[in-house]
Amino acid sequence: MPSIPSVAQLLAAALLPEAEKKRLERLLYSDAGHGYDPFGLHPDYVAFGEVLTAPLYDRYFRVKSKGHEHIPKKGAAVLAANHSGAVPVDGMMIWTDVLRNTEPPRVARAVADHFVPMIPMIGTLFARGGMVGGSRGNARTLLENGELLMIFPEGVPGIAKHFKDRYRLQDWRVGHVELAIRHGAPVVPVGVVGAEEQMPQIGRIPIQVAGLPFIPITLTPLPLPVRYHILYGPPIPVHEEYRPDHADDPSAVREAAARVKAAVQALVDQGLSERTGIFS
Amino acid sequence: MRGPDTTPFIKGVLVTGTDAPVGELLVRALLNDPNIGHVLAVGVRRPEEALPISHATRLTYLQVNLTRERQVHDLLFGPARDLGVEVVVHTAMARSAMAEGGGVHALNVDATRALLQLCERHPTIKRFVLKSYAEVYAVQHDLPVLIAEDHPLNLHPNAPQYVRDRVEADLHACVRMGLSPLQIVVLRCAESLAPGTGSQLFDYLESPVCLRPAGYDPMINVASLRDIVRALECAVRAPQQGVFNVPGFDTLPLALAIRKWGRLGLALPSSWLTPLYRWRRRLRGHDFRYGMNRRRFHYSGVLDGRRARDVLGYLPERPVDWPAP
Repeated sequence: MPSIPSVAQLLAAALLPEAEKKRLERLLYSDAGHGYDPFGLHPDYVAFGEVLTAPLYDRYFRVKSKGHEHIPKKGAAVLAANHSGAVPVDGMMIWTDVLRNTEPPRVARAVADHFVPMIPMIGTLFARGGMVGGSRGNARTLLENGELLMIFPEGVPGIAKHFKDRYRLQDWRVGHVELAIRHGAPVVPVGVVGAEEQMPQIGRIPIQVAGLPFIPITLTPLPLPVRYHILYGPPIPVHEEYRPDHADDPSAVREAAARVKAAVQALVDQGLSERTGIFS
Repeated sequence: MRGPDTTPFIKGVLVTGTDAPVGELLVRALLNDPNIGHVLAVGVRRPEEALPISHATRLTYLQVNLTRERQVHDLLFGPARDLGVEVVVHTAMARSAMAEGGGVHALNVDATRALLQLCERHPTIKRFVLKSYAEVYAVQHDLPVLIAEDHPLNLHPNAPQYVRDRVEADLHACVRMGLSPLQIVVLRCAESLAPGTGSQLFDYLESPVCLRPAGYDPMINVASLRDIVRALECAVRAPQQGVFNVPGFDTLPLALAIRKWGRLGLALPSSWLTPLYRWRRRLRGHDFRYGMNRRRFHYSGVLDGRRARDVLGYLPERPVDWPAP
């Protein structure tokens, strides 16, 4: 009886370059006994995920990225990025970028909004690639296990913002910094440029379908082939600057979160100033 | 009869629910422990039908109806006192999800309450171990996948009696911790994939074709009977009271569990499954209720056993005996 992991394995084996397959064999993850980690991540699916995202990453969005040296090679860390684009392609591109540019390869464990695990197929597929639902307990466990979290502090309001608000960071939640301080992890700011123009959003239909909180009204039915720029900034060592009990100090947490927000905004501004056009 | 090692000697252990596989295996395990003087096994079967174990000198079996408080009283203040029982391990609970009503509640909850009350004023009993269930926890899309002991309980108003009773018994034992002179240990055990344990998943996997909701493949955790029994053995000698999760060795997606059980998994729209399994129950007399398991068939929920590892020294070691590779 063919198994789903075998299908993923077959596709990954057929479509991934040999060198990349060898590299992904060194993927670090915590096997709970049957090849899956407790959250559902499976290395075959990570490889399969790279197969799926590679055409988008290489050919469609032609991702340019820099600052990979700032991603810790091991240990707990939080990637905090701006969020935009009506559909979460930015998360997929960061996920692929981190996977390709870390050695040994690391999976950026996306912390998604609560509704994502409710979406049929997508929730399961993303979980196999390392996504977890956005509960504090999930994030805590991953950090305690020394994993790399990918958090979008703007949340759904970031991805759902109107086109006229592009590249203006929305309300910046503080949970990522609180987690980092409490669990001794640095925060790596990440600026994403390009996603804002991929699918200009001009409105939303406030009905919930298949777990989605609303249906976006966009100028294009599919994302445009904009060029993505991903910039990683130097880690902000909140774990060294604050004691773990500062995680319960609202003013300390707000202050640290404001620094992360400013760092992300600076990376976004840098990316905007360096790019020569939306598609180039 | 003291053993050669430094493990403290326990004069007597009373085990309820010895008609069920967990209770029976626990009795066997305790009898193999030279540092346990006597095992007082309690069940509903007649003595000649119960526990085919030839350790007559260290084992006493008594037929007791735990729903009759007088019988429980006379058990504890009669044979249990005479044998110097120090630890009570309570594993008796109605196993069928279809069992409902006052009589079931009397066994699941009232008997637990009565046992605890009587143990608290007992001259020799020092520790009370309750075998609870992972089913007491809520599993939802917005809750952590890894379930720690402070995870929200399943207090859904529409939860069936099978769940409500387990939550009530568990909570009753928990609220007595610290108030009671007893050391109370509550073990929230992962589901054991074995017949006679009341496992919903085992009953589910009895079908040649197992239906599951399309688009979802949650992570589950299941335990072997041997691991559950070992956790109970650890709890008999627990250094401190408290609530402990007892995970099993196997953490895997539901679809893989179906495959490893040698069954064919078929994904269908979730809304079809409740009526289909209702018909299966009516026609074939099975115990599995899809409605009761709906959430955990959609969203992952895996017991976090770190507390049991750190305090009790319990680590799951034995995988389920999967029929398929």
